[in-house]
Amino acid sequence: MDAAFAGSAPPTPTPTPTPAPAPSSNPDIALILDVAAAWFDGEPGQLGGHDPQETGFTFQQLELTLQHAVDPYFSLQANIVFHPEGVEVEEAVATTLALPGGLQARAGQFLHRVGRQNTQHPHAWSFVDQPLVLGALLGGEGSRGVGVEASWLAPLPWYLVVYGSVTGAGAGHVHAGEAEEEAEGEAEGFEALPTARLEQFFPFNDDWSLSLGASAQLPPVHDEGRGQLYAVDAYLRWRPVASTSRLALSWQTEALVRRLPEAGHTHEDRGLYSQLVLDFAERWQVGGRTEWLDEAEADTRRRHSAQLSFFPSHFSRLRLQVGLDERSDDVVPSAFLALETLIGAHGAHGF
Amino acid sequence: MRFASLLALLLAAAPALARVKVVATLPDLAALAAEVGGDAVEVTALVTPTQDPHYVDPRPSYVLALSQADLLVVNGLELEAAWLGPLRLQARNPRVLAEPGYVDASTAVQRLGAAATVDRSQGDIHPGGNPHFTHDPRAGAAVAGLIAQRLAAVDPPHAAAYAQRAEALQARLKALAEAQRVRFAALPADRRRIVAYHESLAYLLDWLGLERVATVEPKPGIPPDPAQTSRVLQTMKSTGVRVIVQEVYYPARIPETLTRLVGGSVVRLPGGTAFADGETYEAHVASIAEALHAALR
Repeated sequence: MDAAFAGSAPPTPTPTPTPAPAPSSNPDIALILDVAAAWFDGEPGQLGGHDPQETGFTFQQLELTLQHAVDPYFSLQANIVFHPEGVEVEEAVATTLALPGGLQARAGQFLHRVGRQNTQHPHAWSFVDQPLVLGALLGGEGSRGVGVEASWLAPLPWYLVVYGSVTGAGAGHVHAGEAEEEAEGEAEGFEALPTARLEQFFPFNDDWSLSLGASAQLPPVHDEGRGQLYAVDAYLRWRPVASTSRLALSWQTEALVRRLPEAGHTHEDRGLYSQLVLDFAERWQVGGRTEWLDEAEADTRRRHSAQLSFFPSHFSRLRLQVGLDERSDDVVPSAFLALETLIGAHGAHGF
Repeated sequence: MRFASLLALLLAAAPALARVKVVATLPDLAALAAEVGGDAVEVTALVTPTQDPHYVDPRPSYVLALSQADLLVVNGLELEAAWLGPLRLQARNPRVLAEPGYVDASTAVQRLGAAATVDRSQGDIHPGGNPHFTHDPRAGAAVAGLIAQRLAAVDPPHAAAYAQRAEALQARLKALAEAQRVRFAALPADRRRIVAYHESLAYLLDWLGLERVATVEPKPGIPPDPAQTSRVLQTMKSTGVRVIVQEVYYPARIPETLTRLVGGSVVRLPGGTAFADGETYEAHVASIAEALHAALR
C-alpha cells in the first residue's frame, strides 16, 4: 500500500505502476514479545509456565516463529521460545502437503491435540494466564511430545477431522505432581503417549458457527500401567459479517478429567473453564472467565478473571486482567497488565 | 466383464461430466471466475461483500471447500495474509498450493503503490503494492484472462470456451472502463476530487481520473483520532472537497460527521460483487462508478 499521508499533506501524484516483487524462498519469520506487570494480594499459585508468577514484572516469553513450505511435499514450522530460564523448542514440526484421501501427517515436536487451547500459542489466548485445569492436568508448558501424528479430513458435507498421534512420554511432556517427577527422574526406555481427537465444525450461517471437539490421551504411569485423560471442548462464535466495528462474541469452554492408577487405587483430577470474549469496538475487547479445579490431593479451587484489551494495531496489544482465586484456605485477588508486540510476518491465526 | 467395461466407461466419462470446482477468496474474483467458466465450473466465494477482506475468521468450513477445489483464486499482495495461509496448509490438497491451481490474481495486474520502505510504523502496509485492484474493471479484465488460462490448464477440453468467454468479458469491461473514464473526465476539475477513508481506492481513482486530497485513516489500519479528524476537516474546507469514499465495512460515524460539517456526502461502496445474489462483476463496477458520479456531479 502506498505510504499514507495525513489530511494536511499535499495530494499524492498518480501512483506509478510497480514491478512485481521478486519471489522469496525465505521463511515467514515473526518475533513476538510478551511482558507483564503483576500484583497478587497473597500466595500467587499460578500454574502456567509463562504466567506472571509473583508481584512485579514478568518476562513471559519472546517467541520466534518460522514457517515455510519445504518442497511440494512438506512444510516446516518452528516456534522457539526464549525466556529467563533459557531457550525451549515449543514446536518444531514437518507437515505433509500432498497425501491423498484427505490424509495429513506431522512429525517432530508438537503440542498434543488435547482440548482446544493446548494447541494454541499464548499469542492466541484470550487471557494473560493459562487456565488452571490445563496447567494442573497437562502441565505448565502444555501437553506436547516428539513423535508422529496422522489426521483425516472426512469426505462429509461438514468439517470433521480425526487425529491420532503417538509421541514419547518423556522429555517435553510434563505431568503435574508425582507423574512429573517420575517422567523426568526415572524415564527408562521409550514410553509411548497416544492421543486421539475428533473435531467438528458447524457454520450455521455467515455470522454464527460452532466448533466441537473431544480428545482422549493414555498417559503411561511408571510401573502402574496407563492412566486416562479425556477432554471435551466447545467454541461458539458470533461475528456479524456486516458489522463495521469488528464486532464479535466468542464463548469457549473446556472440561478435562484425568485418572491415574496409583498403588492399587485411582487418583482422579478434573476441572473446567468457561470464557466469554466480546470484541465490542474496532480496537477493544472485553472478556470474562470462570474456572473450577478439583484435584484428588487438593481442595477444590475456583478462579474468576476479567480482562480488557486494547489493540493499538493488529500487531500490538495491551491487556489489563483482574482475577480472584478462591482456595479453601485463602482468597487471592490479582491484577496483570500485559503488553504484546509482534514484528515480521503476521502469523495467521487458526479458528 | 460387461460390468467392468461399463465401469471403465463411467470412469473415463467422469472427468468430462464433473464441473471444475473453483474457490475464490473475494466475491469479485468469484464473479469473474463464474463468468469465464460458465457452466463448466462451480464457484464458491469465501468472503462476503460486507466483510473486510483483511480480517476474516478462518473458518474450518473453508478448509473443506479448499480440500475439494481444483482452482483457488486469491487476490494476493498479502490481502489475505492474516487468515488464508493455515487454511491452504490444512486443506490436504496439493492443487491449491502451486500453479496452475493456485491463482494469484495480483500477478496479472499493473500494481500501484508499492512502498519504497517497509516499516509498520507507517501502519499496516502491504510491501508488494496496494492490494485493492478489483475496484478497477481494467484490472478485472486482466484477472479474467489469467483465470481463463488457468482453467484451460486444469480442464483442457473446455479451453476454447474459457478463452472465448474471457475475451468477450474483457471487451465489455474495457468498454465500460473507457465509457466511465470519459464520463468522469467531463466533470469540472474541482469536482474530480475526493477524500478516501482507507488506502483502498488507488486503482479506482486511477481508472476514473480522480484525485484524493486526504485520507481519513492517518495510516493504513489505524482509526482516526480527533487531531487527524480535524486535519481532514481543515483540508476539506480549504480544498472544497465534500465527498468521502469508503467501503461498507469501514466505520461510517466519522465520515458522516465530517461531511455533515461541510455539507457533503459519504459514498459507501460495496466491498465487492454481491455474488451470492447473482450480481455480475460488470454490474458491480458499473454501480460503483454510478454512485461516485452521482455524488460528485
